[in-house]
Amino acid sequence: MARALRSAAHYLQLYGRLLGAQVRSQATYRGALVLDALGTLLITAAEFGALALVLPRFGGLGGWTLGEVCLLYGLAELSFVLMDLLFGGFDAPNLSAHVRAGTFSTFLLRPVPLVVQVFGSDFALRRVARIGLAAAIFAYGVTHTAHAWTLGDAALLAGCVLGLICFFGGLFVVGGTLTFWTVDSVEAMNVLTYGGRTLISYPMGIYGEWLRKTFTYLIPAAFLSYFPVLHLLGRPLPDGLPPAAAFLSPLVGPAVLALAFAFWRVGLRRYQGTGT
Amino acid sequence: MTNAPAPARVRGGALLSPLALPWAVARLGFRRQFAYPQAALWGLITNTFFGVLRVAVLLALFGTRPQVAGYTAQDAITYTGLTQAFIMALSLFGWTDFMRTVHRGEVAADLLRPLNLLGFWAAQDAGRAAGQFVLRGLPMLLLFEALWGMVWPDGALGWLQTTLSVLLAWACGFLFRFLVNCAAFWSPDAAGFGRFGWAVLGLGCGFLMPLAFFPDWVQAWLSWTPFPAMLNTVVEVWVGVQRGAAAWEALGVQAAWALGMLAVTAFTLHRGLRRLEVAGG
Repeated sequence: MARALRSAAHYLQLYGRLLGAQVRSQATYRGALVLDALGTLLITAAEFGALALVLPRFGGLGGWTLGEVCLLYGLAELSFVLMDLLFGGFDAPNLSAHVRAGTFSTFLLRPVPLVVQVFGSDFALRRVARIGLAAAIFAYGVTHTAHAWTLGDAALLAGCVLGLICFFGGLFVVGGTLTFWTVDSVEAMNVLTYGGRTLISYPMGIYGEWLRKTFTYLIPAAFLSYFPVLHLLGRPLPDGLPPAAAFLSPLVGPAVLALAFAFWRVGLRRYQGTGT
Repeated sequence: MTNAPAPARVRGGALLSPLALPWAVARLGFRRQFAYPQAALWGLITNTFFGVLRVAVLLALFGTRPQVAGYTAQDAITYTGLTQAFIMALSLFGWTDFMRTVHRGEVAADLLRPLNLLGFWAAQDAGRAAGQFVLRGLPMLLLFEALWGMVWPDGALGWLQTTLSVLLAWACGFLFRFLVNCAAFWSPDAAGFGRFGWAVLGLGCGFLMPLAFFPDWVQAWLSWTPFPAMLNTVVEVWVGVQRGAAAWEALGVQAAWALGMLAVTAFTLHRGLRRLEVAGG
């Protein structure tokens, strides 16, 4: 037990060093970093701003007010940004670049667990700015919904963030693993990762029946934020699901992540390098 | 130095028409797009998935309203199909090819070509855009037609105005992208400028939402910028929100922005090239 803890602490320290090196290098051109962070921020701000500017003209989105949509959007965005900071190394474009260039093979040669190296391989400082924006959207959602918040609700939302980080992280790991098979079709993974993020940002009732059911029962995305938020807003869950289904986020998320890492190990055994 | 292109001479010094070289560059740019058909297919699948999500959001916004700001729900679907179809052709997510040649010093080799640098890149990008439109745009439009039904331009006049609008939108968009890429002359890491520029482009050109849905003050602001000319005008002319004389007027605004952008971009490139220092090696 003590040994396991010691090696865990050692790996954490290694991870910290890998991040530190990247932070230092990215902070070298400070002006460029600030502009880069602003640009990254602006992409999200523009996407959300377009929705927020348009919503008042229409009165709502499928029966949801701006505040209610913000709750969903903020949850998805906040979790996604946090996940992106953590799991950026597994993102298909990053990993496939390593696979193509052959640097992934050098990861395998080093006496450090592969996963620690991948986790520490793409920490983009510019993404930090997005956390603030995501938190602001989420906070707007919390303060602009007709709901008396309790401590239990806060715990439920915290569970959502945790579950979503694991879920999105799992999608990144699956997307990254697929690059062992197809080096060039990175764009296909974007359906999974960025598509999943976009899908989960809106009330799922607006999608067609087959799309909603696919992302409830096949890919369990609905359990992570849509069902909990429905519960908080006092709305019934679809398909006659019991209210307990709204509390499964902290279980479903880690389960998806565990499955994703199992798939990762399968892919790794198959990995042969590109001969670079 | 780059502003006076030498006449192109090949095969025993026969003087080719001044358009022969740009035409050849454009044709190569067009053909290059077909090198990775599998990547294009995956791109199409991605665009379709996002298209499905965007249509769902727009239809949920419309609810039971028959019309909002001149758009019917069918127009809104058409708008989504058009924006998804033009992502690659008009490089709505950004473009850093020229920036890269400056950072790597390859621009020095491009300067040796018997063709004005801006003209060379314009020809190449026109070919690229046409290739992407055939490869990704047309299938997307047909897919939207099959899935939801699209609104198509109205008669010969509608098609003429729409075609002109697309060409002008490409010109404005290309010049804006090139201008942003010129930041590479002043900064060793211009990616940040790019990200900034593309975010503004996405909101301002009407890629994220039809501009007519925005509050009046936002529309008033945007009317002072070239961004609506880069996509929104195409949509409005295509679906007939602007038709007849109003469409001609919109085309005139697009043309004016294209000329204005040409002047600014050519001037910026000229200043940038004077700063250029290429490391030997």
